[in-house]
Amino acid sequence: MDMSEITDTLGTFKPELIPKETGGNLDDYEDALHVLMKFMGSMSSALEQVSGRGANAIVYQAGKRMGHESAKMMDKTEDLEKALYELSEVLGEEFYFIKWKPDAQDSYVLQKDNEVTVKLLFMDCVVRQTLRRTGLPQKGPLCYLLYGYMVGAVEEVMDLKAKVDIDHVGPNACLKTLTIKWSAK
Amino acid sequence: MVEIIIDEDACVGCASCVEDCPNDVYEMDEANNKTKVVNEVDCMACLSCHEICPAQAMEHRDIHVAKRLYIDRKVNYALKRII
Repeated sequence: MDMSEITDTLGTFKPELIPKETGGNLDDYEDALHVLMKFMGSMSSALEQVSGRGANAIVYQAGKRMGHESAKMMDKTEDLEKALYELSEVLGEEFYFIKWKPDAQDSYVLQKDNEVTVKLLFMDCVVRQTLRRTGLPQKGPLCYLLYGYMVGAVEEVMDLKAKVDIDHVGPNACLKTLTIKWSAK
Repeated sequence: MVEIIIDEDACVGCASCVEDCPNDVYEMDEANNKTKVVNEVDCMACLSCHEICPAQAMEHRDIHVAKRLYIDRKVNYALKRII
């Protein structure tokens, strides 16, 4: 943007606890989002360059902490369906997901020994959009932020150990498997 | 349900979509060396096939199209005026 295009807006600023307006329009939000996307992409790529595969663990841990924090106020439940609903509330519409199963499979949820698994299809994902903005491949460290976020949120809501595996990534949707271990806390 | 349409005139028969699809939605039609849809019901609309197809020979209908907020609205506006 040409600096001459930036118009200075004069106004009055008063000390207040809750700002009544944000002082920006849609273009400002778009610019801010894209700048943040570039920052995130740049950080992710530098982290990978410096730490190698350790970058995934660092970002995963950061996401997990965020997940635990975000889900603290959510209702606690051991019911997987309710937990998934809580997870969707935590993640918000920018991480819109649905349960998914192959047509030949009877149930969305599979029980095996003391584990239960469910496949989640992430349709909208800000992480994916960030990667596309910055030209980075999917399944890299930044994706681990969402994995950690999901695991943290599910662990917080269910008070059980959880893990997420990536099955497939695509430009329009990504398939992940969420595994809950009933015996582990 | 997802509907997939293959443009047989455009398909070059490279089988990239067959290899890339995680749910075996596509198969090669040996008769005409083109891809064919055999398992539409398991398509999860990830659109990996779109990305890998060198001929842009496929179309998916009735799918959730993910938000693309990473694209500049100014670019979209300019494209709409051209196309």
